[in-house]
Order: sequence, then C-alpha cells, then structure tokens
Amino acid sequence: MKKRLASENLAGYAFISPFIIGFMAFTIIPMAVSLYLSFTSYDLFSTPVWVGLDNFKEMFTGDEKFWQSLKVTFTYVFAGVPLRLIFALIVAMLLNKASRAVGLYRTLFYLPSIIGGSVAVAIMWRNIFGNEGTLNALLFFFGIDKKILWYQDPTKALWTLIFLAIWQFGSSMLIFLAGLKNIPPSYHEAANVDGANRFQVFFKITLPLLSPIIFFNLVMQTISAFMTFTPAYIITKGEGGPLDGTLLYSLYIFQKAFNFFQMGYASAMAWVLLVIVGILTLILFKTSKFWVHYESKED
Amino acid sequence: MKTVTKDTGPIMTDPVISYKTPRFKAKKWIYHILTGGFALIMLYPIIWLLMSSFKESSQVFITAHSLIPKPFIWSNYAAGWEGIAGQSFGVFIKNSLVIVGLSTIGAVASSALIAYGFARIQFKWKAFWFACMMVTMMLPHEIIMIPQYIIFAKLGWLNSIKPIVIPQYFGHAFFIFLMVQFIRNIPLELDEAARIDGCGRFSIFYRIILPLITPALATAGIFSFYWKWEDLINPVLYLNSPEKYPVSLALKLFLDSETASNWGAMFAMSVVSLLPVVLIFFLFQKYIVEGISTSGLK
Amino acid sequence: MKKFGIIALSFILLFSLAACSSSGKETSGGKDDKITLRVAWWGGQPRHDYTMKVIEMYEKAHPNIEIEAEFANFDDYWKKLAPMAAANQLPDIIQMDTAYLSQYGEKGQLEDLTKYTEDGTIDVSSIDENTISGGKIGDNLYGFNLGSNVLSVITNDDMLTDSGVELNDEAWTWDQFVQMATDVQKSTDKYGTNGMNPADVFFPYYLRTQGERFYNEAGNGLAYKDDQLFVDYFNMQLDLVDAKAFPTPDVQAQVKGLEDDFIVKGNAAMTWNWSNQYLGFAQLTDSPLSLNLPPEQADNTALFLKPSMYFSVPKSSEHKEEAAKFIDFFVNDVEANKLIKGDRGVPVSSKVMEAIKPELTEEETKIFEYVEMASQNASKADPPDPLGSAEVMKALKDVSEQILFKKITPDAGAKTFRTKAEEILARNK
Repeated sequence: MKKRLASENLAGYAFISPFIIGFMAFTIIPMAVSLYLSFTSYDLFSTPVWVGLDNFKEMFTGDEKFWQSLKVTFTYVFAGVPLRLIFALIVAMLLNKASRAVGLYRTLFYLPSIIGGSVAVAIMWRNIFGNEGTLNALLFFFGIDKKILWYQDPTKALWTLIFLAIWQFGSSMLIFLAGLKNIPPSYHEAANVDGANRFQVFFKITLPLLSPIIFFNLVMQTISAFMTFTPAYIITKGEGGPLDGTLLYSLYIFQKAFNFFQMGYASAMAWVLLVIVGILTLILFKTSKFWVHYESKED
Repeated sequence: MKTVTKDTGPIMTDPVISYKTPRFKAKKWIYHILTGGFALIMLYPIIWLLMSSFKESSQVFITAHSLIPKPFIWSNYAAGWEGIAGQSFGVFIKNSLVIVGLSTIGAVASSALIAYGFARIQFKWKAFWFACMMVTMMLPHEIIMIPQYIIFAKLGWLNSIKPIVIPQYFGHAFFIFLMVQFIRNIPLELDEAARIDGCGRFSIFYRIILPLITPALATAGIFSFYWKWEDLINPVLYLNSPEKYPVSLALKLFLDSETASNWGAMFAMSVVSLLPVVLIFFLFQKYIVEGISTSGLK
Repeated sequence: MKKFGIIALSFILLFSLAACSSSGKETSGGKDDKITLRVAWWGGQPRHDYTMKVIEMYEKAHPNIEIEAEFANFDDYWKKLAPMAAANQLPDIIQMDTAYLSQYGEKGQLEDLTKYTEDGTIDVSSIDENTISGGKIGDNLYGFNLGSNVLSVITNDDMLTDSGVELNDEAWTWDQFVQMATDVQKSTDKYGTNGMNPADVFFPYYLRTQGERFYNEAGNGLAYKDDQLFVDYFNMQLDLVDAKAFPTPDVQAQVKGLEDDFIVKGNAAMTWNWSNQYLGFAQLTDSPLSLNLPPEQADNTALFLKPSMYFSVPKSSEHKEEAAKFIDFFVNDVEANKLIKGDRGVPVSSKVMEAIKPELTEEETKIFEYVEMASQNASKADPPDPLGSAEVMKALKDVSEQILFKKITPDAGAKTFRTKAEEILARNK
C-alpha cells in the first residue's frame, strides 16, 4: 500500500511540476513582496517604509472611496455574472445543432468577446450610450423624444459597463458549447424514448451533466469580474466617474498605485480583494457538492 | 492501437417525424430569424466599427449615428497599413502572431499535463497546490507587476518577448481548471480498462484523456489566442522598441490626446487585426463541435 | 505523434530563445566606441514620425552615437516609466511632464541639469531664464523645458458675431465672460463656453487673476486662504450651467478627442485650452477661430509661460553628458526645429523661434505670435506641482463634479476640498 502511494505522489508531482516551477519562479516571490508591501508605504522610488496595519486601518475607516469601489464592484459582479451566464447558456443551447449556419452563428455571437478589451470597443461603446449616441438616436427613430443620459447618473453609467460584460458572453457560451457537446446524444435519445418532454430533458439530463461546466463558468466569471479593469479604464478614461459610479475596485487600485504613487496602500487593497474573492470561491466550492455532478463519480 | 470511445447507444431514428413537414420548416425559419436577428443586434457595435473604418477620421464621431459612410473611403486601410514611424503594420501583425502562437502552444500543452495530475492522481497536499493555483488568478495583476518586472529585469529579459511567452509554459490556472472539470467528467472505468491493458500514467494521459477532452483543448487554444492577441499590459511593460510591438500596442499609437487622433486608421487596423482571431476561431470551433467524435472501446 | 512533435519543437524554440541572453548595451570604451542612448517620449503619430527624423539627423551628425527610440501614447508611457524607475532601467532621456516632475525629481530619480547649462553643454544663451526656471524644483533643474504654452480662450468668431458679442481680450472681465456666454446661448441655443476643463488648470488661473496662488511656496499646503474665492469661481460656473451656457461634467466627459470637441462641432463659442491645442482645432473646422487672452490677466499679470514638456535625464543614466548634448541639439538646432515646428510648444530659444517662423503655416504662426505677445504680459510660472499633486487634482475634480451635478453647494465644496488638499499635501511632505 505504501509503495503504491509513493509512486502516486511521484506521478502526481511529475505532472504538476510545470506549475510548481512556474509558480516558484514567477509568482511566489512577487506575491510575497506584494504582501510585504501592503504593510509599508512605498512610492516606487524610495525604499518602502514599514507602517504596520496603517494601510488597512486607513482603508476600512478613513477611505470612503474604498467602500464606494467595493459597492460598485459587487453590484457589477452580482448583476453581471448571472445575466451573462444565462445568456451564454441559452445561446449555447440554441447553437447546439448540427447545421451549417450554426458555425457562422457561433462565430458571430463570439465576435463581441474577441474584440474584448481593445480600445476600439471601449470607444464604440461610449459612443453608443452617449448623449448623442446611437441608442438615443434609435429612441428618437421610434418617436420617443426623451434621451437617456447614461453618463450623468452613476448607476446608469455602471449599467453601461454591465451591459458590456453581458454583451461579451461569447466566451462563456463557447465553454458551454464544449460542455454540451460532451453530453452523449444517447442520453437524450434514451430520455425521449422514455417519454420525457423538453423541460424534463433539460432539467434532469442536460443541466446535471452540464453542472461541472456551469460550476467552472460561475467560478471563473466571478473571479474575473472582480478583476475587471481595462474596459472600465478606457471607457471612463481612468476616472471611474461620474461621481465614482464606475469606480471598479481594480481601477481604484490602479489609481492609487500609478497615479498617486501609493504602492503600499494599493498592495494592501489587492490583498483585501484576494481575501474577499478567496472566501467567495471557497463558498462556491463547498456548496458545489449539492448541485454539481461528476460522471467520474469520485469524491 | 487502443482507442477509446464513449458508448453512443443504440441507433435511433424516429419513424414518425419526417424532416420535410411544413411544421418543421416553419420552426426552422423562426429559429433562423430569431437567432439571426439577435446576432445582428449583438453585432451592431462591430458593424459600427467596420463602417467607421471607411469614414474620414474627423467625421467618425460627427456622423456616429449614421452607419453609412459618406464619402466611402478606402484610404484608412492604406494609411493604417503604412504603420507608425517607419514600421509597416505587417510587422506588428507578425509580432503578434509569434507571441500568440508560442504562448498558446505552451499554455495549452502545459495546462493539460497539469490538469491531468490534479484530476486523476491522488497525491499528498494536492488540495494545497490546487488552492495555490486558484489563488494565482485572484491577485490583481497590477500588484505583482512591479516585483515581477524587477525579476525579469534581473534576468535580463527586458525589451524581449521572453517575460510574455515563457511563463505560459508553466500552466495557466484558467485552462488547468477548465480541463480538470472536463477530465473529471470522464468515467474512471476508461482509465481502469487502459491500466488493465498495461498502459502507464503518461500513456493513459496521452492516448485516452487527451483525445476525450479535445473540446476543452480547442476552447483553451481559442481563449489563449485571443487573450494574448489583445493583451496590452505585458507588451507595454516588456517591449520598448516599437519594432517589437504587437498589434494591440500598435493600435494605441494611432491615438493621441493632444492632437487629432487617427481614428480612421485605428479602426481600419482594428478590423484587420480581428481577422486572424476570427479565422482561428472559425477553424477551431469545429473541434469543439466534433466533441466525442471517433474511435471505439477495444 | 505529430502533436508531440509540435510541442517538442516549441520547447526547443523556447529554450533557444532563453539561451541567447539579451544583448547588453554597448558601453563606451569598446572596440568601436559606440554609445547607445535610449530616448523615450509620448505623443501621437505625427510626433513619432518627425521625432524619428530628428533622431536620424542627430545620428548622422554624430556617428558614434546610436539612439534607440521608445515611444508610446500618453497613458502607456507613464505605465511603462514607473516600473522602469523601480527597476533602475530608465532610458537616458525621458520626456517629462509638470504633473510628474516632482514625483520623479524629488524622489531622486532625475539628474540636476544645472551644471550642463552652466558649462555650455546645453547652450542657453538665447533662452529666457523664466522659461528654464519652470523645470526647477528648488535649485535643481530636473527638466529642460522643450517649449512654452500659454492659457488661452479660443473663440469661434462666427458664433460670436452672430450673437452680437464683441470680445476685447486685453481688458475683459470674468463678469463680461459670463455675460457673453449667456448671450451666445440665448441667441444660438448652443453652449457659450466649454466646461473649463480640467478644473485644476483653470481654478488656479482664476486665483492668479485675484492675486492669489494655488499651492503655497513650500508645497505643503494651499496658498489661498479665503474660501470665498473658491465659492465665487464655482458659483460662476453654476450660473452658467443654469443658463445652459456651460456643459455639465457628463457632457464634457463624452468628448473623445479634438474632432469631437465643442468648438469643432460648433457646439460652443469659446473654449478654454492651452495655446498649442489651437492647431488641432483649427485644422478640424472651417469656422474662423482666434486665440484670445483669458479674462482679467492684466492687473495681476496672471498669465505665465507654462513648460509644455521637458526632457529629463535620470540619475541612473550612464551617458549623462551625451544625453545633455542631445537635449541641446533638440532645443537649439534650427534644422531640427524646422521638423519639430513647435509641436512640443513654442520653442524656448528666441533664435530658433525667429528662424523657423518663415516655415510655419498660418495657424502655427498664430500660435507663435500669441505666445510671444502673452510673454510680454507674463509673470513667473507656478513651480512644478508638489508631491501629492495628483491626489489634490483628483480631489478638486471630484468636488467640482459634485458641485456641478448639484450634489453639494460651493460653500460645502470649498471646505471639503480644503480639508482634503491640506491633508494630502501635509502627508506627502
């Protein structure tokens, strides 16, 4: 028994060795340094000065923008991620057929994701929601004389970012497609033979078999939503306005680190985020037992 | 040659529904109209981008609400292709292709290996390393950026693509996790069967698992391709000489806050730079489609 | 098997990449004595193009110097520079901005260029001391001024005439400005003025017209003591907003670039900008535009020549003398400046300015003449922004937004801003 375990260990480590090497070489030291920095005041040019817990104290008690950015980011994540996943799943199911047009459709729906964080997209997006933009022009076209001023209201401005995230559901859709394709048609056919209707097939067969993928998307989208930076940066020109309505957490970190040269404080903020995201991810993992089903039936 | 397949069950044909009934045809039309319509709405911003690339730079925002360029000009493409300060845009595209190609091969290959380890092998402290891997995704990049930069500076890798490409060969948490999920969906019986037939760990990985997670591999490949294609922050940091710039960085050279930006050229080149990515996607999405394709259990 | 081959191939490729170490910089004393200078700047496409030509010119004249150019747009430039500084990898010549000069200078990253001006490496015989002093922090010359800008109010003269407004830019007052903007609005239903953006440029100007300053000499607090000044300035803007003659912050924020700007689209009759931006505007619209002195500049000689940007030399550079020589070439060489044509501000050398005037277009000449005229009425510029100024600017911007969105009153805003600014500046000293 012991012999087998030893060879298992060796094999395991052999396979994940690239990760460990890379982690040691490129990640662990920067992470350790950034942890250290979060207890210092560091302006990038002089040596860091130890300040203990001051950064954290300042963050939690003296910094309203910190709470504002948390609020903005949480809204963004909890509104954007579910909506995005739902759209992605619906469209993936629509495109899960073997028809020639489908390949084309898939590409078309995926296109928004591809142009993702590029400057062109951000500019175009601002333009659509602008006061003189396309959306208002459309309203006008339909005879509605009222303009929606997306950028005057902090909440509305945030929703333009959420819409952007949802619009780029293509990447999640792709993963769902891959997952759907992995479900053998025989299952569906067998269910059909047994007289199951569409909904039953979906809920009893498709969803459970897809659950590992849904879980994956949920975790990944949540984590990356918390990290969102580039679209917000370009669309708001790095300001997070109006009135900090779009001040996503990572945008605020960036401001602190590179505009105000407060690298220590920014590092502290980053670690706080890591803890928050870590806890959320842990919750997701722990609760996955109840709804995620793996075919390999391992524990 | 032992290959594996999934049980596709008895072949069924439904004797009742003929694919030519009017009812079915109507459904098909509705499907196409809905999906197509939705796709068009989704694509409006991209169509806007495309049309704007045929407009004069100075007119782009003034005529933003109208899609049709008046006048319709091609010169943005020519001007954009000339590039910046003596570098033709072709150079930038070549740079992008090199970076992205090398990165993608590395990321997908190494992630698959690592994923297999996590998914199929029980080894000491697995949970710990898995958690470490997940954590690498949760730390905002801005924060480890500076220390990482200093490490790369000490290695002498600045102003080269090494800091961008080499770390990809050590796995990427997103792909690892993705593949883990796929692998866990493969019944253990297949592994057992192969083991009984005398396959070692690596063989099982190479011959059985890999073919079965082709959709995940293709997906990871596509993702890696386009993430690296539009990656901005790493080229900004690690590439100083403009002749090394990839497309993502080069596009920003067209913009300027102080003088009139060359929007026309920028949009035109954005469209051009989209083409490789779209092409790769179109080619690879077939592999996702094929899914559990060929082969049978011996 | 093929798959394996590809993977193996890429690993081999990779290791060969890693194996050949990056070629080190050639340092002087080698066999062919070539010195490599790295020069970095931000800008747009035209600037990249002509600067490369200037560099080629220099390399031809100095065959032992090889220059590696590194350029990016404004945002990316600063993102690059900070890590370089942290890793001691700064280029030999870096373009610098007043907003960052203190940060880089006072934290020991930049070399004091005074000795190069004194020993003649950088020829300052035709350069006014006033323009050089803009790059000084205390006694240290951290940045060499490449060109001057002056604040201006650029007007669309057609819109003014149509509204029956006459502007006498030598003597107009703030009240007259408000009146004019409102008149334009009433008669054309467009904005009278743009959003006087950013606040951290124009509020300090306002203070100068009232004989006050924004930052105090020591750089650890605000100079103006009377918050009424703050209140007056923002009340003026609020009145204009109510009269619909002034855009609210969200409308101002939606301007994506010059071609989108109010003055170009005919949506405002006046715009508050630096003199060099005139060129861009003039090229984008057919309406007649003119450069005007801003209000109330005479009594307290509120105008000043602002260095538009500098070249600095990092302390870590191994070729400081050569770097200084390049800077000298850049600001004094007439042929080079015929290519530069004032893109980085009106040249600081009077000799150069005279020499290139014949080469200029009508619009470029207007800018030169405007700056020349303004310099007759100018006093010493404010010193470069002190440490912490980026945060102060953000605080001012935030308060300004809140006031213009009517979330707080100017009185409350004045107090909030003062508290924040003083705290930031004290903390950074």
